[in-house]
Amino acid sequence: MASKHKTSSRTGNWRKWRGVLGFGLTGVATLISLGALFSILGYLIHQGIGAINWNFIVREPAAVGEAGGGIAPSLLGTLILVSISMVVGIPLGIGVGIYLSEIAGGTRFASVARIAINTFIGVPSIIMGIFVYFILVKPTNTFSAIAGGLALGIIMIPIIARTTEDVLRLVPKSIREAGLAIGAPKWRVTFDLVLPAARAGVITGGILAVARVAGETAPLILTALGNEYYPTSLFKPIDEITLRILKYARGPYDVWHQQAYGAALILVFGVALGSLLLRLSTRDHDALSR
Amino acid sequence: MEVRDTDILMSDQSAVSLDQAYKLRVNGLNFYYGSFQALHDISVNAEKNRITAFIGPSGCGKSTFLRTLNRMHEETPEARVEGEVLLDGESVFDREISELRRSVGMVFQRSTPFPKSIFENIAYGLRIRGVDSSLISGLVEQSLKRANLWEEVKDKLKKSASGLSGGQQQRLCIARALAVNPEVLLLDEPCSALDPIGTSKIEELLLEIKESCTIVIVTHNMQQAARVSDYTGFFLSGKLIEFNNTKSIFETPSSKLTEDYITGRFG
Repeated sequence: MASKHKTSSRTGNWRKWRGVLGFGLTGVATLISLGALFSILGYLIHQGIGAINWNFIVREPAAVGEAGGGIAPSLLGTLILVSISMVVGIPLGIGVGIYLSEIAGGTRFASVARIAINTFIGVPSIIMGIFVYFILVKPTNTFSAIAGGLALGIIMIPIIARTTEDVLRLVPKSIREAGLAIGAPKWRVTFDLVLPAARAGVITGGILAVARVAGETAPLILTALGNEYYPTSLFKPIDEITLRILKYARGPYDVWHQQAYGAALILVFGVALGSLLLRLSTRDHDALSR
Repeated sequence: MEVRDTDILMSDQSAVSLDQAYKLRVNGLNFYYGSFQALHDISVNAEKNRITAFIGPSGCGKSTFLRTLNRMHEETPEARVEGEVLLDGESVFDREISELRRSVGMVFQRSTPFPKSIFENIAYGLRIRGVDSSLISGLVEQSLKRANLWEEVKDKLKKSASGLSGGQQQRLCIARALAVNPEVLLLDEPCSALDPIGTSKIEELLLEIKESCTIVIVTHNMQQAARVSDYTGFFLSGKLIEFNNTKSIFETPSSKLTEDYITGRFG
């Protein structure tokens, strides 16, 4: 104790100031980052709110350059594309995650697969677009909702695989052993006990992946193309909200610019609302199982 | 080698077939984690409807030994076993693994309720076994009663098991193990995380269930071994130093090492 008193008040002060400085810097970093994010949001609201009304959501686009009209086909198209991507990406991604965490474990194959997955998470999404363009769009000679959904689904796979593996590894070994100890075969332990224990994390990973692809544009230019009208077939070009934003933002008309901001605003709030709802629904369930 | 004590015990029973007298027989068991040998030439038997306890300091190999009895060691990469483990005279290594583990249940040090309701925690093992669903709720009640837990949980069967206290969770794990009617129950330091009340409830319970089940328990609590077990073995550095009936081990140990350990001179 005596030695503690001997550390003179000068060193004590310096320590205190270093602490204040360290935490201060993290605070400043947070302020700057949040400031940037909120000014983007504020700008979007300021520019786009005027475009949003009931017709904007339920109407097809008006004739070129004319006021009015809406982005209903883009909203519907986004919904369809994201749904297709979920059908492709969620089962494959979760499957890969389970395989790496529960079956392949520490094998050489698993470590190579992990490097590949981490690489693919960082690969620019246009690459997936080009890939699908060459394996699907060119051979069938048509852009389509299927091609767009497939490209988005491929983007989801590594994201979901990675988060699924991570959260499965967090499930205590004791749960697996307890399951095996009552004579449950390994696959039942995985699906009945380990996966439910990691449920919230797997769902969060899914939300992140869906939110990510819902905002993708580049791969869709090469696969879904875009469309002025309501989708009539999964095998025809389809519109999507970011494609619509791109088109309107690049166009020459002020009304298009405002509608581009409006569409962007809807996209941001859509993604936020979706993840909020999913999170709430999983929290209720977790409260039950915990 | 004091291990010969078991031979004396065996010769007492020589008139009876060994397999009838002993539920579990282990002969010349060596255990390796990679190149590290964790168990050296263990030979020991567990008598039917008795509680056999294994004591010893941390890291002596007693848990490793227990885990070979239901082949739980096979979940550890690099683990390797030599020697014989016989359940009713049949090698456990020849049995289908899930079916073996239904006959030889296990309860772990940390209670491990499944992320399910209290009811489903018990019912799960029955469903796995393909028990007819009309029988399940009766069997769940029966298992909870056998584990002396029924009165405490009967009004909240649908609630999550993780809301129970540590002692209740551990009795739930015992009930879960009992639900599939195992012939042998292995317990790996089941009370090390419990308070004295929780511990005494588990000990009472063990004395009740040995009527229908052969029990092997690993503990580093010597008093616990002395209180509940019929036979006690002392492990040190991967060797079974001494094995005998519990009274003899604690009152007249034949090995100096055993005596030093139970009188608290090390460990």
